[in-house]
Amino acid sequence: MNNRIALLGNPNTGKSSLFNRLCGLRSKTANFPGSTIEHQVGTCSVPSGPELTIIDLPGIYSLRLELPESKVCADCLDGKIGDGRPDAALVVVDANNLPRNLQFAASAMRRGLPTVIAVNMIDLAQRRGFQIDAAHTSRLLGVPVVPVSARTGSGIDALKAALAATVLSQAKPAPQIELPDGEPGSAPSVRWAASVLDAIAAGSAPREDDTQLHDRLDWAFTHPRLGILLFAAVMSLLFAAIFWFAQYPMEWVDMLFATLGGFTERVLPSGILRDLIVFGVIGGVAATVVFLPQILLLFFLLALLEDSGYLARAAFAIDRVMRRFGLPGQAFMPLLSAHACALPAVMATRLIPSRRDRIATIMAIPFMSCSARVPVYALLTTLLFVGRPWAAGVAFIGCYALGAIAGIATAALVGRSVLRGSPPPMLLELPAYRLPNILQAFRIAFDRGWLFLRNAGSVILAIAVVMWWLSAYPLVPPPESATALRAQAAQIIQRDAATAEALDTQAARIEQQAQQAGSFSGKVGSALEPIFAPIGLDRQLTVAVITSFLAREVFTTTVFVLTGAGSDAEGNESTTLDVVRSAKRDDGTPLFSTATSASLLVFFVLALQCLPTVAVVARETGSWTWAIGQLAFMSVTAYLLALVTYRLLS
Amino acid sequence: MAAERIAVETQSQYHGTVERPPVRIPLNQLARGQRATVECSALDALPETERCLLAAMGLGERCEVRVCKPGTPCIIQVDQARLGLPNEIAARIMVTPVPPEQP
Repeated sequence: MNNRIALLGNPNTGKSSLFNRLCGLRSKTANFPGSTIEHQVGTCSVPSGPELTIIDLPGIYSLRLELPESKVCADCLDGKIGDGRPDAALVVVDANNLPRNLQFAASAMRRGLPTVIAVNMIDLAQRRGFQIDAAHTSRLLGVPVVPVSARTGSGIDALKAALAATVLSQAKPAPQIELPDGEPGSAPSVRWAASVLDAIAAGSAPREDDTQLHDRLDWAFTHPRLGILLFAAVMSLLFAAIFWFAQYPMEWVDMLFATLGGFTERVLPSGILRDLIVFGVIGGVAATVVFLPQILLLFFLLALLEDSGYLARAAFAIDRVMRRFGLPGQAFMPLLSAHACALPAVMATRLIPSRRDRIATIMAIPFMSCSARVPVYALLTTLLFVGRPWAAGVAFIGCYALGAIAGIATAALVGRSVLRGSPPPMLLELPAYRLPNILQAFRIAFDRGWLFLRNAGSVILAIAVVMWWLSAYPLVPPPESATALRAQAAQIIQRDAATAEALDTQAARIEQQAQQAGSFSGKVGSALEPIFAPIGLDRQLTVAVITSFLAREVFTTTVFVLTGAGSDAEGNESTTLDVVRSAKRDDGTPLFSTATSASLLVFFVLALQCLPTVAVVARETGSWTWAIGQLAFMSVTAYLLALVTYRLLS
Repeated sequence: MAAERIAVETQSQYHGTVERPPVRIPLNQLARGQRATVECSALDALPETERCLLAAMGLGERCEVRVCKPGTPCIIQVDQARLGLPNEIAARIMVTPVPPEQP
């Protein structure tokens, strides 16, 4: 890559909006080697100029702070990471807060790279009565200074031209006023910024907005009780919106994969390849990708909230509660989003600056009840409370509560044992209140969705294929009873087509049941049955639990297949549930007794039956030890509490 | 109450006849809307990480702050930026209250 420009600046200077203005959608999210800190890389076209590669670095206050983000930015400017030293630096400063931003620009210029300064939000500053002489500033600092508004797009063409000229000329900063020796915030740096500001703005400063209104909003949003109530209300609306609006696109995704599977089944000749593609690849990926609409909506709405300035205040309100359990306020959003899916929630912990806090949060996330658990909760609570929907509803909410309590207790336990210490005090800049940028939110949602799809296409796809193979092989010959049913169907098909079809369906279920029992996963189920017997599971349920390690919702599918349920000729849902409810074990006792259903419910709330989550935790913590340790801890906890539940109720 | 008393004392110190150096008080004792200046060594009581971060965030020497919301978090305005600090940090930042402007 040539013409590489590092984009850097303080947080809340509109850096990402400017990046989007420069690069549009031609960008991708990446991590520096050995780091979980993200940066965006995009391509910027300059009319009659060279193509520029823009590296959007994290927002930082100083290049010398003992924070991972600061270190990554400094290393990038020095060429210690990435593809060597960038060809130039683009420093974004907020026109409304120049005293602090100029100090940061000075520290960046001292690195010696050809530099361009973009004075962003100039439109807002001008409305507030602030004027800046860009040409004079440029002469004084010895670098091109371009006033821009990333929001409206004004000044962007001039900025592109200045970037192209700087990259081509490789002109280093030549300030008329000597750059300060200290880092931002030091006395020399403060004095330097004040003298520059005096020279370029003739003492004018932006007028303040309605501080009374902002003070009142800050008071309400960070209040110990009112702040939490408001947060609960905002989050309830957010999640209601996610579940409501996502249901339709989820159905479309489901239908799309079903159509694709059906088409492939018709087109390809029957055999291993067809089964692999239809059941392994398409079926396995569909089980995960169906949650993509929820993930897109979640990140879109969170981006809107963040851009409005509300989330930073909410983090303070919730920090007081979270801190009691050894978690920082920033942990709340990942924990909340884990109720949609643990994968993006684990990735969202990158927002938490401290590694200790990040790991403590990751340890709690898989306990939160994700969408994949919903079908399992729905099945088991319905089996537990026949004809009592209100009781089933209470049990459903109880599952969510049990998961949340277990997660927070785990974080507290980990924080007081393995990860000693407490979260560092939360120091945050509270961004100005503003109307959120919808395009920016779309972009963030798109990025997260793409990351999720990439994961689905690699880790999840591999697991799906392996699990399919384990449950499909070795091939088991059809049982005699199934063969007899098929022969009977063939005899009567001319006279009674409906009965023949029902007999065929019954035969297929018996064959599938035999295949499940005789497959590698079935054999594993039989071998592991003694382990799961104490919590009330027989061979069939053990297979269902084992296969659900692919994805939790696979449990319901497996149960329906193993019990011969599914749908009757009319596709009647109650009939399916009746079949499951009346299913018997090999010894003739009910498959789902009250004790077994309750024990399974507890097990599913607490167990980490999601191998993709294990893979993502290993990647985000940078260690398989945490991932395997978490899997072991959650499995043992789930087993023990399921055992207690089974013993109490049986 | 304590914050109000300090504000009154500070006013009398500036408008009255008392001749003594300005009083430095912890930031968390300022009332809402009150202004103060951050003097040299104001952040010395803080651990280095927090001290450097706060300085880089704008809470540097000789800057003027306005309290937007006392308590936890203590929200202060420095130039056009608002910073949220936990009370325990605000309690360790020594500032000199600025007398209110004459009507």
